[in-house]
Amino acid sequence: MARKLTINDYKTNVWVDWCPGCGNFGILSAMYQAFADLQLDPEKTVVVSGIGCSGKISHFINVSGVHTLHGRSLPYAEGIKLANPDLTVVVNVGDGDLLGIGAAHFVALGRRNVDLVVIMHNNTVYGLTKGQASPTLARGFQPKALPKPNLQDAVNPIGLAIASGYTFIARGYAARVQHLKELIKKAIQHKGSAFIEVLQPCVTYDNIHTYDYYNKRVYDLQEEGWDPIVKSPEEFPQKAAQALIKSYEGDGRIPIGIFLVNPHVPTFEERYAQRLPNYLKVPPAKEPIEVDGKTMITMRRFKELFGKYIIEFKQ
Amino acid sequence: MNELRYILGGPQGGGLETLSELLSWAYAHAGYGVISDREYFSNIKGRHSYVHATVSAVELPRHLTYPVDIVAAMDAETVFTHFDDLRDGGYIIYNSDDDNVSFTSIPSMERDLRERLTSEFKELGVDGTVKSVVKYLQSNRKVRVVGLSFKELLMEIERREGIVPSQASRYISTILAGAVAAITGINEEDLDYSLKRRFVREDLYRHNRAMANIVIEAVKGQFGSELKLDKPSVKVSGVLVASGNDVIATAKIVAGVRFQAYYPITPAADESFTLEEYEALGGEGSIVVFQTEDELAAINAAIGAALTGARSSVATSGPGFDLMVEGLGWAGQNEVPVVVTYYQRGGPSTGQPTRGGQSDLLSSVFASHGEYPRIVLASGDHEEAFYDAIDAFNYAETYQVPVIHLVDKFLANTIATIPLPNLDGIRIVRGNLAPKGLTEYKRFDLSSVISPRAFLGDYVMWYSGDEHDEYGHIDEDPINRIRMFDKRMKKLDLIEKEIPEERRYSYFGSERPDIVIVGWGFVKGVALKAIEELSGEGIKASYYHIRMFIPFPRESITKIAGEVGVDKLVAVEHNYQAQASRLVAMNTGITVGKSVVKYTGRPIYVHELVNAIKNIMRGSVREVLSYGA
Repeated sequence: MARKLTINDYKTNVWVDWCPGCGNFGILSAMYQAFADLQLDPEKTVVVSGIGCSGKISHFINVSGVHTLHGRSLPYAEGIKLANPDLTVVVNVGDGDLLGIGAAHFVALGRRNVDLVVIMHNNTVYGLTKGQASPTLARGFQPKALPKPNLQDAVNPIGLAIASGYTFIARGYAARVQHLKELIKKAIQHKGSAFIEVLQPCVTYDNIHTYDYYNKRVYDLQEEGWDPIVKSPEEFPQKAAQALIKSYEGDGRIPIGIFLVNPHVPTFEERYAQRLPNYLKVPPAKEPIEVDGKTMITMRRFKELFGKYIIEFKQ
Repeated sequence: MNELRYILGGPQGGGLETLSELLSWAYAHAGYGVISDREYFSNIKGRHSYVHATVSAVELPRHLTYPVDIVAAMDAETVFTHFDDLRDGGYIIYNSDDDNVSFTSIPSMERDLRERLTSEFKELGVDGTVKSVVKYLQSNRKVRVVGLSFKELLMEIERREGIVPSQASRYISTILAGAVAAITGINEEDLDYSLKRRFVREDLYRHNRAMANIVIEAVKGQFGSELKLDKPSVKVSGVLVASGNDVIATAKIVAGVRFQAYYPITPAADESFTLEEYEALGGEGSIVVFQTEDELAAINAAIGAALTGARSSVATSGPGFDLMVEGLGWAGQNEVPVVVTYYQRGGPSTGQPTRGGQSDLLSSVFASHGEYPRIVLASGDHEEAFYDAIDAFNYAETYQVPVIHLVDKFLANTIATIPLPNLDGIRIVRGNLAPKGLTEYKRFDLSSVISPRAFLGDYVMWYSGDEHDEYGHIDEDPINRIRMFDKRMKKLDLIEKEIPEERRYSYFGSERPDIVIVGWGFVKGVALKAIEELSGEGIKASYYHIRMFIPFPRESITKIAGEVGVDKLVAVEHNYQAQASRLVAMNTGITVGKSVVKYTGRPIYVHELVNAIKNIMRGSVREVLSYGA
C-alpha cells in the first residue's frame, strides 16, 4: 500500500441510516478504527453481513462487502474464506440472525475453527421488523414493542460459543468504542474462529437495555485480572468451565472483555492443508483451471486420475 | 444371443454391490456393454435389494427390460420377489438350503407384497416355500434350476483355504458371480480381472478365486454355458465403467471445480465422496469438499466460494434443494455463477428416498420467490451427464447465473459402460472477466448485460440480496429498480440467442413418425430402445429428447408438432403430471395431451413402454406404468 490508510479511507459515501443514537454506530466506529489500526487492505478484506439493522454495515465500510441472507452469513463467510484463505473475513450479524434463524451455522463454525471473526450485535430485539423478542431477550422481559412479556428464555451466547468450540470468545459494549476496537483487532489477529458479542442498545424498541442500564452494570474482565488464555490443551476443560460460569454472570454486573482464548486448535484451513499440499500456497480460488480456454485435464491426466473406472481394449 | 439380462438379489448390505461389480467389470473387460441398475430400500442392512442389468454384445446399452434370463438369489426373499421376472427357459440360481423357507416367514418383506403373493401362489397352486416356487418355475416355465447349497460350498472353501467360519459368508457374492459366469460363459481372464480389481488384498483375491472356481466347475459341468453371449462387436477403444455419481464427479474435475459443498443426502452424496477422493488432484491442486451442517449452509457456502472465483457447486436431492431455494435467489439477484447438481428422487417430503423420479422439474424451473434468470439442463444418460456437468459451469460463468443440472437416482446409482470422453473438445469458458488495474470497479456495471466479473480479493466490491446499484449498494429507487431488473432478466434473451436450438434437444428415429415420444432425463435410454422395437414391428416411432428446459427448445418442438400433428405426441415421464409436457404448453402453447407416466420409483422398462405406446396409438390418452419390484 502506497500510503497509510486513515479511518476516512474505510468509510463509504453511503448514508448510515440507523436510528440516531443506535448502538450500531459504536460498533461501526470501532470497526473503522480497528481496520485502520491494522491497515487492512480494503481489497483483501471482506465484511459479510446478514439481514436486519446490523446487516447494512457492509455497505458503510470501504472494504468488500457481502450483504447476505437472514441467518446465512456464516456459510457465505466460510465459503469465501475456504476458497481463498488469503482474505480477511469479518462477519457482522444480529442476535436473531445468528442465534435464531442461523443457530445451526453458529454451532458448526465453532467445530471448524475457520479463521473468521464473528461480531454479533446483541440488542435483544428484532429491530428492523419493529421490536419483536430476539433469542437473547430473557423470559418475562417486555421491551416496549412487545404486546406481552417474553415467554422464551434467553440463550447464553458466550456459553454457546464455548460449547461450540470457538477459540476466541469476547464480549464488548457498543458505548466503549476503544475497548471494542481492541477486541476486534485481537479477534482479527487471532488464528481461528473468533466470536465477539456486542451489547448494543436499541434506542427505539428496547427501553430496558439502555445505555444507562449497561453503563451501570458493565465491568472489564481484564481490569479485574481475568486471564482468558488456555496455556495447554490439558488446561482447556477447566478454563472453559470457568469461562462458562463467568458467562452466566449478569445480575447486577455484566462482564465485558475476553472470556477465553484457546490457541491449541488447528484452524479449518490448516486441517485442509494437511490433506491438500498446495492449499495454503495457491488458494483454490486462484488456481488456473484452463489453458487457452481448454481444460487442464488432458486425456493422459484423466486416465492417470481415473484409471480405476477405465477399461481399454486392445485394438 | 446378443443381449443378456439378469437380476441379482439379496439383503441390503449383504454383498450385492460386490456381486454386481464383479459381473459388470468382467463383462466390460470382455468388451460387452453393460448397464446395471440398483434398487434398494432406505435401509442399511436387511431389506431386499436387487440389481437389474442388461449386457449387450452389440451396443453400450442404456435400457432395462423384462423378462430377464437369470435371477441369481442370495436369499429366499429374492426368489419370492423376482420369480415372475424370469423368462420361460431362464435360469434361477438360488441357495438350496432355503428350500423349506416360506414367504410368510420373511420379516423384511412388506405386507403388500406378502398379500399379493398369497393370492398369486394360491392361483399357481404353490405352497409358498422356496422349493415349491422353484418347482413351479421348472415345470411350468421350463426354467433351469441351479440350486446350490451355500452351506456346503462355504464349508468347502473353509476347508480348502483355511478360512475361519465366521468370515465365510463374505464369499456369497462370489458364489453367485461364479454361477452367473459359468452359465454365461465369462472367460477366466475377464472374471479374474474383476476379482483382482475388487479384492485388492492378495489373500482375499485368492480365496474368492478359489470359491469362484469351485462354483464354476460345478455349474458348468451340469448346465454348460447356454447363455453365452455372441462375440462383442461394440466399437469403442475404451470405456468408463462408472455410476452416474462418479461420472459427474469426474466431469466436475475436468471442468475445474474447486469448491463443492454438500449435506449428506441420498442419492447425491456419493458424488461428493468421489470428489473428496480426488480433492488433491494427484498433488496438483486443491478442491475444497465441504460437508456442511445443512443444505442452507451448503448452497450459501458454495455461493460465497463462487464470489472468490472458484468454480463452485453443490450436489443435492429434492429435500435439500427445497432448503437451498432462498440461496439460489440470492445467487440470481447477485449474478453468481453456481451450479446445483440435482439428483431427483421420489417426493414429496421424504417420499421414496432411495427410489427414482423426475418429479422435481417444475420445482427446478420455478422454485423461488421473485424473478431471476437461471439455466436448467437435464441429462439423459451417463454420457450426456458428463458433458452437461461441464457445460453447467461454462453457462454459469458465461451468463453469471445459477445453473441447475437435473439428473436422478436412476442415473446416480446405475453403473454403465460409456465411451471414454473426448477431452480435446472441452472448453472452459469463464465469461466476461474484469481486467486487472482498473481505477474504479462496479460489480453491476449497467453498460452491458453481463457486467465484467471480478473476484473478491481483486477489487473492493459489494453484493446485496437487496436491490442494488451498480456498486452493489442497496438502492430502492424505482428507475434503478427497472434498470437493474431489466439487466438481469435480459440475460434470458441473451441465453435464448446464444445457446443454439440443437443444444437444447435431440431427435431420434423416423423423420415421418406415426408416434413421437417426448421425454427427458433417464427416459432417453428406454425410449430409444422402444422406438427401435416398435419400428421392428412396423410402427414408425421417434423420440424427441429435451436436454434443456431453460432455454427451452421452442422452435424444434413447434416444428415437429406442426409437421406430424400434435395428436401424435406422447409425453413419457417419471412423474404423475407429465411435467415436461406442461412446460411444452407454457413455452409453445402446444398441448401434449397424451402421456405415459410412471411414479412407482422404479425405472420405465422397454417392454412396458412398447406396450403403453401401442395402447396410446389405439386411443388411450394416459398410461400409468407399474412394473418392477
